[in-house]
Amino acid sequence: MTGLERFNTLRVRIALGGLALVAGMVPIAFIGISALSTIGTTVAAELDQLQRVTAVSNGVTVAVSDEIRAAEQYLSARTPEVQQQFRTAAASVYTFQQALQSLGALTEEERIAVTRLENLQAQAEVWYAYAHALADLGRREDAHAAAITAREPAEQLLASVLSVAEGQSRQAEATTDRLVDAARTRRSVVLLVLATSVVIATLVGVALFRSVDRPVQDLVGAARRFGAGDFRPMTLRGTMPGELRELTDAMDSVGARLRTIIVAVTNESQQMADTASDLSAVSEELAATSGEITTAMVDISNSAEKQVSGLEHSRQRMEHLATLARKNADVTQRVVTLGQQIRRLADDRRREMATAGASIADVRTVVERSARQVEELERLTAAIDDFIDLIKRISSQTNLLALNAAIEAARAGERGLGFAVVAEEVRHLADSSAKAAEEVADTVRTIRHQMSEVAQTMASGRGKVAALGPMAEGVQRALGDIASAVAEVEQTTANVSREARAHLEATDEIGAVLRTVSEAASSHASSAEQVTAAAEEQGASTEEMAAQANALTQAAERLRALVKDLRV
Amino acid sequence: MRLAAELAVREINAAGGVRGRPLALVLLDDSASTQRAIQVARQFYDMPDVYAVVGHLTSGTTIAAAPVYNGGATPLLEISPSASSPTATHGAPYTFRVCPTDLLHGARLAAWARRQLAAERAAVLYLNDEYGRGVRQVFTSSFTSLGGRVITDDPYLPDLPSFQPYLERLQRAGGAQVVMVAGTRAGAEAIMPAMRAAGVTAQVMGGDGLTGLEIDGTLISSAYLPDRPGERNAAFVAAYRRAYDSRLPDHRGAGAYDIIHLLARGLDAVGPHRDHLRDWVAGVGTETPAFEGVTGTIAFDENGDVPNKDVVVGVVRGGQLVTATP
Repeated sequence: MTGLERFNTLRVRIALGGLALVAGMVPIAFIGISALSTIGTTVAAELDQLQRVTAVSNGVTVAVSDEIRAAEQYLSARTPEVQQQFRTAAASVYTFQQALQSLGALTEEERIAVTRLENLQAQAEVWYAYAHALADLGRREDAHAAAITAREPAEQLLASVLSVAEGQSRQAEATTDRLVDAARTRRSVVLLVLATSVVIATLVGVALFRSVDRPVQDLVGAARRFGAGDFRPMTLRGTMPGELRELTDAMDSVGARLRTIIVAVTNESQQMADTASDLSAVSEELAATSGEITTAMVDISNSAEKQVSGLEHSRQRMEHLATLARKNADVTQRVVTLGQQIRRLADDRRREMATAGASIADVRTVVERSARQVEELERLTAAIDDFIDLIKRISSQTNLLALNAAIEAARAGERGLGFAVVAEEVRHLADSSAKAAEEVADTVRTIRHQMSEVAQTMASGRGKVAALGPMAEGVQRALGDIASAVAEVEQTTANVSREARAHLEATDEIGAVLRTVSEAASSHASSAEQVTAAAEEQGASTEEMAAQANALTQAAERLRALVKDLRV
Repeated sequence: MRLAAELAVREINAAGGVRGRPLALVLLDDSASTQRAIQVARQFYDMPDVYAVVGHLTSGTTIAAAPVYNGGATPLLEISPSASSPTATHGAPYTFRVCPTDLLHGARLAAWARRQLAAERAAVLYLNDEYGRGVRQVFTSSFTSLGGRVITDDPYLPDLPSFQPYLERLQRAGGAQVVMVAGTRAGAEAIMPAMRAAGVTAQVMGGDGLTGLEIDGTLISSAYLPDRPGERNAAFVAAYRRAYDSRLPDHRGAGAYDIIHLLARGLDAVGPHRDHLRDWVAGVGTETPAFEGVTGTIAFDENGDVPNKDVVVGVVRGGQLVTATP
């Protein structure tokens, strides 16, 4: 994992999305706040200026009115109080006039007007003071004339003051207009800022949703494919976030191992089916051979009985020969012929038995191979168990991961809702995986049970096949004995035939020999019966083996059906 | 003031100018009118090659022009040689002056009247403008607080028909030992014959607005007198007399002379730049050493005033103003 990929996780993607939102919103909020605060400052400054201008303007108007009133009043009622009022009002006119002068908002024309106002005020004040002095001296006429002179600048002063007040009122209107304009501009700025923030939030949200949703959708699709039994390798677009990449890697490794196992199971079941088919063919062959043996043995048995009864007849005849020696040669000749017949038969049977022995050896090889393959299958099923354990562990981890993802999604709040759904899906997937693993485990248990039965049957079949070997050897040995005995009979009979006429006294001896031969023939008959019984028993075993081979074939078929629908 | 300023410029250019360039003087007349002063200020303000204004002469014109110089994007330095109104430089960072305020003039004259002349009664005639009202107000309050009484306190303007009624009323009220003329030389020249006509025999005194008055015995306060001791002043007075037909410089000329030399030094230090020059001037006496001029030591405070400068009381003798002796 490279350094960059370490940061390519859902957590980091969501965090980056959040950071992008914050980084986008902070300057926007800052612009909005600064726009609002600018308008607030502007309004406050404009209103403050307006307030001061209005206060000064009102003050100068009131002071000028007071001054003129007191000045005129002193001419008719000369009291120190009125004089004092006049002087106080005049002084305050200068104070207000200076304040007006120092206000920053005045135009140069207004400044000149205010300066003119000061000059008018000075003239009016001087002329009224002059008139007052004349009045104090009792020169009423002169005082009246001076007052008339004073009234001209006084009237102009009042007019000027009023025009300044009007100017201020116009300025107030202009200020209002400026504020309205400023408010309109700021409102546009704020609206623009809001629109920008909405666009940025939408873009970041969509990008975030896409960066999380696409890989999750891909993964869900791949998981569904797995669930449907398609274990081919996943092909996922683009780069995955770290958590999903781990999940993808785990699922990929699950798929790879499943593919290996399915291929192995398919091959093994094919091999098992082939083996079972071989076994079945061999069983059929064996059954056929056993039938032949039985038939042959029945023949042998019948011949032996015939021989016994023939020998009995010979002995009677020999006893009769003792008396009827002439007929001896004929009888002997018949005995020779019979012996040759027996030897031929015995030789035939011995050859057949040799063939049967070879078949039995084949059967033993096949049975032993089957037993080895069954053991191999048992080992394979043990591997499946390990693998199921792995699946269970992976699904448990997936479950835990999905739980963590759900918690993270809950932390992410509204933006995590989509991811919460995905996390729930992943958890369902983990549950399904666990369930599927359990089902596979059940199937494997069933297969193993059946295979164990097959193994037991194979073991018993192997024992029985092993027992057949010595039995066949016994039969062969007995047949050899028969052949040698017949040869001896032939030689003896030949001797008898050659020497009967000359050696009648040997008749007793022949009778003894015949007795021996008769006993041997009886023993041959019982041996032949024994062989027949063994052959029958072998036939039964072969049938049983065929049945087991059939069961094996069916198990192999079931196994093949189980993996047939899986795509690897 | 114009003559002294031209003398200073000639001296500087004769010595090589400022940074090798000659100093030029642009002259505009505000006619002591506040309305005209505003227009003149605008003209100066709009000349990009003007880095400082020497003026205006009176308190009224200085105050009226100050908003023009201190406003806008390229404020212009204004140093007045004689605007003595207490508030003339207040709230105007580009407005300075090199003279003491009326507070000092009014206070020194009131003290002189009470202590040297032992006057108990005073009459005040004041020119009804910014300057006259300022001097009058300080004199009245100082004289009263020193135990004297102000008997009459009357305003005038140049077009007043006669001072007779004011003086007659004063006489009826019992007269006064001093008549304080808080105005100009022209006002004093009209008042003094009227006093004689009304029989008022008081000592006439006034602030530096009376400078140039040639009536002997009149007491005039001034920030500068030509007989001020010191070699620099002696050299300046001698040069002035040589250049201008043996006439003597007054406080306005001496102030303008000092301002020109101060500005030349500032331009040499920081170059032709309005803001840099203003900041350099504001630092004289704090960041840079105080300037030793013919009018005394110039060191500005935060208002652009020279609080360490004093006012002397002079007396007219033989048509010349000389330092008065108690």
